[in-house]
Amino acid sequence: MQRGLSLESSKSPENLRRERINRVFARAVIVPTALALALIAVLILDTLYDTISVQVVEVTETSGKSFPLGQAWNAEQVIRLELLAQGLPEEEVNRLMADPEEMRIFGLRNRVELMWATQEGPLRWVVSSIDDERVSNYSLLEGLRRWNELKAGLQENQQLRLNPWLDYSFLNRDPSRNPISAGLRVALFGTLWLLTMTLLLSVPIGVGTAIYLEEYAPKNALTRFIEINLRNLAGVPSIVFGLLGLAVFVRGMNLGPTLAAAALTMALLIMPTITIAAREALRAVPDSVRLAAYALGATKWQTISRVVIPATIPGIATGVILAAARAIGEAAPLLLVGAAAYVAFVPQGPMSEYTVLPVQIYLWISANLSEFANTAAAGIIVLLLTLAGLYALAFWVRRRFRVEW
Amino acid sequence: MSTSSQNANSWANKHPGKSLSERLIGTGLFILATISVLTTAAVIVVLFSETFQFFRQVPLTEFLFAPEWTPLFADPRYGIGALLAGTFLFTGIGLVVAIPLGLMTAAYLSEYAPFEQSVRVKGIMELLEGVPTVVFGYFALLFVTPILQSLIPGLNLFNPISAGLVLGFAILPYISNVASDAMMAVPRSLREAAYALGATKFEVVTRVVFPAAISGIVAAILLATSRAVGETMIAAIAAGQRPLLTLDPRETIATMTSYIVQAATGDQPAGSLASRALFSVGATLFMFTLTFNILAQRVVERYRERYE
Repeated sequence: MQRGLSLESSKSPENLRRERINRVFARAVIVPTALALALIAVLILDTLYDTISVQVVEVTETSGKSFPLGQAWNAEQVIRLELLAQGLPEEEVNRLMADPEEMRIFGLRNRVELMWATQEGPLRWVVSSIDDERVSNYSLLEGLRRWNELKAGLQENQQLRLNPWLDYSFLNRDPSRNPISAGLRVALFGTLWLLTMTLLLSVPIGVGTAIYLEEYAPKNALTRFIEINLRNLAGVPSIVFGLLGLAVFVRGMNLGPTLAAAALTMALLIMPTITIAAREALRAVPDSVRLAAYALGATKWQTISRVVIPATIPGIATGVILAAARAIGEAAPLLLVGAAAYVAFVPQGPMSEYTVLPVQIYLWISANLSEFANTAAAGIIVLLLTLAGLYALAFWVRRRFRVEW
Repeated sequence: MSTSSQNANSWANKHPGKSLSERLIGTGLFILATISVLTTAAVIVVLFSETFQFFRQVPLTEFLFAPEWTPLFADPRYGIGALLAGTFLFTGIGLVVAIPLGLMTAAYLSEYAPFEQSVRVKGIMELLEGVPTVVFGYFALLFVTPILQSLIPGLNLFNPISAGLVLGFAILPYISNVASDAMMAVPRSLREAAYALGATKFEVVTRVVFPAAISGIVAAILLATSRAVGETMIAAIAAGQRPLLTLDPRETIATMTSYIVQAATGDQPAGSLASRALFSVGATLFMFTLTFNILAQRVVERYRERYE
């Protein structure tokens, strides 16, 4: 779309130069967007690539054998094969497998995983014990290039694995100082607990503030002060909320590094986001609707609760989901209110210690061991998938329930 | 306070109903609204009371002029300069990336893109905004840094170049969103006048639209700076956690935020000087971001007066 001066008529060098700059700029303005898109694509592909590695593991308690996918289809069948491979007689295996207590203990010590390949062939089950030791770990391409060399160099009790770190067993494992047996379970439950508690606290406060400001607040200095304050609060770095939580909730209220302290901190952090979204939704409800309710004899609160709020539910829900997405990805303030501690158990209640997905990822990145880069990458994929789900949900809610006036 | 519901509400406010519960609801909602004010008050009280305690033990001159920040050493020094230098490097590199990219995106959105295309571009910016910063940190440390290390000799594993580059993309959406809004608000007549004088589109964008939207653009940059100064995880993961008074971007540094992370993940008993030092860094950080935010609002208000 060329606008303005018709440059054909005056082809002086100066005009040709201006025309060239104009053309180049018109093409160049799209470059930053292309770069941004490329960055996102590379980020996702690189992270996916990092979730796979080739490793040599020294087995300690297990047989060190792997079993083809065709021979076993579930964990139970794999455990049977493994126990037989360890040389136990058939009746003994049957007795162990029938005893829930024995199986629980076995489950505590061992993980059943499906590897994309071992030295014995493609797609094979392995049983690894939590005491297994890493010998070496290579990125996917280097590992595949050196596969035969590594295979030839295997010693007794060593196993070569093409390990897709992101599998069901990864989601279901507890954290560990040994990356081979580290998993996301505690962090997933922590995130779920924290998100629920945060929303229970912040949604009523955030929406209540929005209703007050939109429907009740007189136009005076105090209202203006609250509004300015909200805007500034939304601009306070999240780590400062962490300091607030540390001083007030962890130390002042003596909650310690618990879910309760974290939820209070996060609630204050995302409350402005919810308020801003809820105010926009309230503002979109036209005045005629309110007047109609008043004309029917409704009181102010009846109008708000039965007419205005129902019409704003989609807008508020979208805002809450987006705030939830922000809360799920937030790590910085939680590092100050206790999430950085090593927590081995799923939280049992608001006073439990906890960790969450992004903090677990941060701790893995900080741990100086290449396998932890693999678990961090796997954790990032889980985090991004969760966020993608939430954004899709917000998008769907906005589309499906939009109220047109 | 919306203009649309003003009439209905002013009517209802004059006829508040007779029941007590109706009035209690209004009071209850007011109390909820004050929680945000209390939060701000709590932030200020917490940061500055601890900082006040800190300055009773450490002289202000030490804080401002000491060359090192080493509160955990046997011979502790408390020179905020080391952390400010790190923050400056990290933020500066981020802005050097984000300002041109963000302004070009804004120009594209407001001047060049057809409607469907601008929806797509905004979608990409939202995507960028939605990526958790811990993920950006991972990407900076494990993807960008190795590439840069092969290009720049003497580059440390933790460095502000790699972290700043990625930070630039993380704050790009803030610049492009605010700046494109400001550029779209420039009246069409100004553009038409420039075209009538024989200007090319490039000249219209750079010499008419940019200057006319300059207050919005400045506000966008100030907001992005505030975000960058407060950005924590990218700095903590990829820029480093070792305070150093240097402007050499190849060195491992610490920003104010990454120092807070480092100190907080260690163990410091409440009331200790090291813990108070942590809060004094928090207070400094808060002052910086608040200043940038208030400046941005001032600039935006001025620009509103002009065009609405």
